[in-house]
Amino acid sequence: MRKETQRDLFPGALEMMILRTLKRQPLHGYALAQHIKRMSDDLLQIEEGSLYPALQRLLKDELVKAEWGVSATNRRVRIYKLTAAGAKRLELEVSKFERMLEGITRVLAPGQS
Amino acid sequence: MNWMRRLLSRRKIYGELSEEIRGHLEEKTAELVAGGMPREEAEVAARRVFGNVTLAEEDGRDVWKWLSIEKFFMDARYSLRMLRKNPGFTVAAVLTLALGIGANAALFSVIDAVLLRPLPFRDPERLVAVHAVDIKDAAYNGEISYPAFLDWRSRSHSFEAMSVWWTTSVTYTGGTQAVSVRGVVVSANLLSLLGVSPALGRSFVEEEDQPRGEQLPVILSYEFWQGQFGGDANILGRSLTLDDQKYVVVGVMPARFQFPVQANRVELWTTIARDMLGKSGMATQRGVSYLQVIARLKPGVSIPQAQSDVALIQEQMNRQYPEDRPRSAAINTESEQISGSMRPALMILLGAVGFVLLIACANVASLLLARAAGRQKEFAIRSALGASRGTIVRQLLTESLLLAMIGGVLGLLLAHWATSALIALAPEGLARTSDIALDLRVLGFTFLVALVTGVLFGLVPAVQASRCDLNRGLEDSGRGSSSGAGRSRLRNTLVVSQLAIAFVLLIGAGLLLRSFNRLQHVDPGFRADHVLTFLLEVPSQHHPGAQRPAFVREILQTTRALPGVKSATAVFGLPLSEQQDVYTAAEAEGHPLPRSQRPRVGFRIIESQYFSTMGIRVVEGRAFTPQDELGGRSLAIVNETLARLMFKGEDPIGRRIKPSISFGESDDAPMREIVGVVADVKSGSIAGKTAPEIYVPQTPVDFIGEMTVVVRAMNDPNSLVPAVRSLVNSMDKDIPMRQVKTLDQYVSGSISAPRFEAVLLGTFAGLAFVLTAVGLYGVISYSVAQRTREMGIRIALGAPRGSISRMVVRQGALLALVGGGVGLIASVFAVQLIRGLLFGIGSTDPATFIAVPLLLLMVALLASYVPARRATKVDPIVALRYE
Repeated sequence: MRKETQRDLFPGALEMMILRTLKRQPLHGYALAQHIKRMSDDLLQIEEGSLYPALQRLLKDELVKAEWGVSATNRRVRIYKLTAAGAKRLELEVSKFERMLEGITRVLAPGQS
Repeated sequence: MNWMRRLLSRRKIYGELSEEIRGHLEEKTAELVAGGMPREEAEVAARRVFGNVTLAEEDGRDVWKWLSIEKFFMDARYSLRMLRKNPGFTVAAVLTLALGIGANAALFSVIDAVLLRPLPFRDPERLVAVHAVDIKDAAYNGEISYPAFLDWRSRSHSFEAMSVWWTTSVTYTGGTQAVSVRGVVVSANLLSLLGVSPALGRSFVEEEDQPRGEQLPVILSYEFWQGQFGGDANILGRSLTLDDQKYVVVGVMPARFQFPVQANRVELWTTIARDMLGKSGMATQRGVSYLQVIARLKPGVSIPQAQSDVALIQEQMNRQYPEDRPRSAAINTESEQISGSMRPALMILLGAVGFVLLIACANVASLLLARAAGRQKEFAIRSALGASRGTIVRQLLTESLLLAMIGGVLGLLLAHWATSALIALAPEGLARTSDIALDLRVLGFTFLVALVTGVLFGLVPAVQASRCDLNRGLEDSGRGSSSGAGRSRLRNTLVVSQLAIAFVLLIGAGLLLRSFNRLQHVDPGFRADHVLTFLLEVPSQHHPGAQRPAFVREILQTTRALPGVKSATAVFGLPLSEQQDVYTAAEAEGHPLPRSQRPRVGFRIIESQYFSTMGIRVVEGRAFTPQDELGGRSLAIVNETLARLMFKGEDPIGRRIKPSISFGESDDAPMREIVGVVADVKSGSIAGKTAPEIYVPQTPVDFIGEMTVVVRAMNDPNSLVPAVRSLVNSMDKDIPMRQVKTLDQYVSGSISAPRFEAVLLGTFAGLAFVLTAVGLYGVISYSVAQRTREMGIRIALGAPRGSISRMVVRQGALLALVGGGVGLIASVFAVQLIRGLLFGIGSTDPATFIAVPLLLLMVALLASYVPARRATKVDPIVALRYE
């Protein structure tokens, strides 16, 4: 019954992007949202709010961990960090995604028939 | 445990999530403000980019939830609030359900204990009862002789083991006072056949089927061991005297062990060797059929296979022993054997009570439908706010389930009370009634019934409600005029089904009640009021030889002298009593017949005042005198049925007859001269036919050492009990008084099964009837309420008020006619089921088939008339103001 909030994305895509971003450096929610937006050049329509349920899922599966800290702008924020399990999962998801992408690309490519 | 920690820390998680989201929005706003945007605008913009804050938070929380369960609790909380807000509806629904569920739970507790629970033996499904079937006369069915049993056992291939048994009463005199208990004579292999072993000591061994030495082996019940020997640890090897015989205790059974499983407790078991003692032990005679057979089928052998196996053996035996009555064999499972004739009746009652629950369901469903109409606006608002159809259906179902569960709990309370009433009402002789209890099995059953009930009555209204059109739901003020068409059709269907079911149940109940009424008015042939009876055993070692008749005469004479006693007598074979009836073959003088063709006649041994004390009419000739008992001439009195059957219109007085039973030393049965004819007496059961019977004058204890003393009192017969008891005690403290009961109790016990059936089906039908009447009333009132506006218009346009009420009543009558019609057709089939339970009336008893439709129609008219009157009082101005 969950509303489809990630129209442009397939399930798990947002999580993958979060993991990838966190692999580079630990971030808090707002920074994470801004970073993903910036990196995607606003090509993806992501509601910032949808980030939080995704983060909760990752927390529950212990792929990321969170600690309260202070941000650059001196706010009390929760900073997310990738766990070892998260790094492993990221690798797996990325390779799965690449294979999927390759398959789709082949089908979509102008055929030689 | 991880999930446990999670459950506890959840509040913290939720708090952190909210704080985080709030922080996010603030940061965004701050950034925008820093970029030069006005604060208010920035706040809106931040929210826009963020999306739905609440949804994000909820989805975030959902991650941590045990979804379905928590949603259920949320729904349940909401449902409780809704139910509390509508106390009238809630009370009506819960009460209806409690009645339906409670009746089911109570009856199930009986059926579970009596029919369903497996017998407490190893692999009970392979235990069977093997019967002899008399080819000529079904009255001889059942028992076989020990030599015949040995043939069965040695020649058959279908059984792992076979054992005989029969119960008899024995007197134990070793304690502070004589007690009479029931003992069972069995084959030595019985316990291993059942798969049970003694708690103390050993089972019987094979050789103990033959008498060896002086003492016979006996195994005691746990309860007898505790009660009589205080649980003495040195009980094994102890010798005790039962009747005249010495026994040695070889074992004690575990607590609660009983075999045979039957209404009366048994306290000890001994082997068939007991019946081989003496010069003519019963177990040594092929002609004495008195034993029941229990057997364990070999794995994989079916009952029909085993049956043809035994039948074939019996066929050979019929050729081998032409003197015996020709027989065949029949086998049924031991559990069927134990529930006996009550099984079909109980199944019918279970069906009936199920239908009562269906009617209750229909009532509640109807209530829900009506309420759903009123709640359309609520649903419309909820779905406008984003609730999906599934959410609304789930919500409504939760409400129904909650109702059902509350109804179930209340129903259990009702069942608790009803079960004790059922036990009190249970037919005499119904085995395992002591196991009836509201135990876990019944709780489970009730829970399941409540669950199914909730879904059953909740689903249709829920789906209907969720199908509502959003716009119309919001516009409509909730008292819509046309939108309820489908719903009211559904309610009409429900009420028609209720009427049909109630009709069938009422017909069934009517037939059973009429039949029971007939039974109550059967003339038993004797006057049952003001008569006290009790059984006395007079062992011959206490009063040997000629002392015994003298002792009996003395007891009777002192009893007659007691204040409040009108007369007293003694008999062997009191009608309708627990004492086994004795039957024998008889032949009239001058008409010699081979043994196997002689008619079977009842045999009663009476003291001379028997007929006058019992109030049995002497039709012809005379009753016995005290002189007749002294011997001399051999005399007999016969009943009318015998006179008709054997003398075919000739005068039987002075003719001679020979029942093949002898007393004392003489081996040959004497020819007896008939001196009188008495009226027929219902001896086996009130409903049964009277068999031909012979009465002979003799001291009744002479036959097997026991007799029933019959005392006619001037006032309440029970008030004589203490005086009689102390009298017997003073004459011989070693003879126990058993079965102290009034004759009225025997008569009423004899019709206890039909009473049980009639009262239960009557109660269920009554319940169904009331629920249906309420249902019909509800439907009609609701439709009147719905049509207030229409009626206002009609009245405003000049319709006479009488025509309005006629219109409403016509609607009710139409429903009743359709329901009654369907019920009538269904009854034609349903009555076939209870035909076997009826006495004295046909299954198409006209009185019942006239009374029930009339009753139903009258109540239907009444149930419609009340709302109809309300309809005529509609004030057109008020009705129209809502436009």
